Amino acid sequence: MTECIKAEVVLQATNVYLTYDRPILRDINFCIRNIIRPGLLQGQVVSLIGRSGIGKTQLFKLLSGLQAPTAGQITILDNKPVKAGDMGVIFQNYYLFEWRTVYQSLMLAAKKNKKLAGKEKQTIDQYADQFQMTGHLNLYPQQLSGGQRQRVSIMQQLLKGSDFILLDEPFSGLDICMLDKAVELLLQVSLSDELKTLIIVSHDIENSVAISDTVFILGNEPGILGATIKKEIDLIERDLAWKKDIKHEKRFLETIEEIKGCL
Amino acid sequence: MKKLIQPFATINRQTFMIMVAAQVVITLLFWHGLSDGLIPKPGKVAGAFITLLGTKLFIDNMLVSLLLTLKAMLYSILITLLFAYLSVLPFFKSVALFIVKCRYLTLTGLIFIFTLLTKDGSELKLSLLVFGIVPFFVTSFLSVIVNSNPQEYELCKTLGYNNWQTLYEIIIIGKADQVFEILRQNFAISWLMITMVEGLSMSEGGIGTLLIKYNKYNDLTNVLALQLAIFIIGLCFDYLLGNLRHWLFPYSKLKTANAKS
Repeated sequence: MTECIKAEVVLQATNVYLTYDRPILRDINFCIRNIIRPGLLQGQVVSLIGRSGIGKTQLFKLLSGLQAPTAGQITILDNKPVKAGDMGVIFQNYYLFEWRTVYQSLMLAAKKNKKLAGKEKQTIDQYADQFQMTGHLNLYPQQLSGGQRQRVSIMQQLLKGSDFILLDEPFSGLDICMLDKAVELLLQVSLSDELKTLIIVSHDIENSVAISDTVFILGNEPGILGATIKKEIDLIERDLAWKKDIKHEKRFLETIEEIKGCL
Repeated sequence: MKKLIQPFATINRQTFMIMVAAQVVITLLFWHGLSDGLIPKPGKVAGAFITLLGTKLFIDNMLVSLLLTLKAMLYSILITLLFAYLSVLPFFKSVALFIVKCRYLTLTGLIFIFTLLTKDGSELKLSLLVFGIVPFFVTSFLSVIVNSNPQEYELCKTLGYNNWQTLYEIIIIGKADQVFEILRQNFAISWLMITMVEGLSMSEGGIGTLLIKYNKYNDLTNVLALQLAIFIIGLCFDYLLGNLRHWLFPYSKLKTANAKS
């Protein structure tokens, strides 16, 4: 097993309920801890996996602070209840302001980050170079491909400076080549800071598990309305985390089958 | 050929132009064939149109009407923007909604009140026009605001914007191009109203006054020639405002292209 320590809690969901005319989510309890790996800036990559229509998007909105739970609370660093703006959020279709160029969109985010005061332009150029978007800074979102939009969305949320990046179905609609690039990009982001935490909400089991260190399975239990976290799988414990080309290994495939069985 | 009568079929630009030209020719032939002594033939109207364009009477009256329309549109859009932006504040929402309902008020019944409230004919026409146009502008702009993509608001929230910053980014900056689209779409209404308003107060002339004068003497040839001029000027403005929007807001061109594809 790869040497690491699970230290302080960075995100905690406690007894979270969401009810409309019927229960959507119930009794959601999980926590994400800071993973420390000697000699590395290792962030966290957590996947919340569930079937379509189970309530993943609702949980995504609760985690992002865009919506308040009916009961319970979600807290982040220093036990602070999460509110809109605390998390970097990357929507499924990588939404960007259509009236802003890539550069303007990035600048809006950079100006929100006090740590970047006076260095906004320089940082944008650095990110643009790192994400291979230098030649696209003056384009509008409608002129970008899906993969480019995704990169701009990620850059925007990184520039904002949040430790948390919440991604809704980041792999949907991407072709095979783009998928590999997206995976690489997310891993790169997770290694950019010790506290950087990526939370992937997805129904794409294989790709999500391949880049995660922990998986939470969202599902229903027989006879009870509302989805809950049915299982937590520690991929570090199973020696499946941070491994390249893990997808073909027997242990990985067995874990995938185990997750499918829980859904 | 089959494509021309197939639902949702797409035809190339050249075919479309040929089709339009053929339809215009057929209409003119139809008109020519149906015209008797009272309804002037298209050739006669075309001749009158060319003559009319060269007359000082037409140019003077057209300028008066254009100036009045532009002035009214400027005031109207300023009032519209004010109320539309304020409509996101609950206190002003009711006012904006009331303005929207004012579309159902007719100007004719309010002329006397406006006459009492204004100094002269020019002011009367302007105020009547603004009163007539604003409800349509506000309706269009409120519909733009209401139909905003919810993700625009969500992105603002995730970027940590407060409500005022969100208002600025989404409604003021994000919908700026739509102001031109509303102007373009509603120019026809302004243009329609000007003939009516100028008919109500004839003191300074204008194409409405000219139209009533020609109508009074049953000069149908000049009425149709003037209608043709009004129609063409309307189309020119439509084209001009559309291009101005694309020039000022390049992304609006991309949006249109995406919507077409």
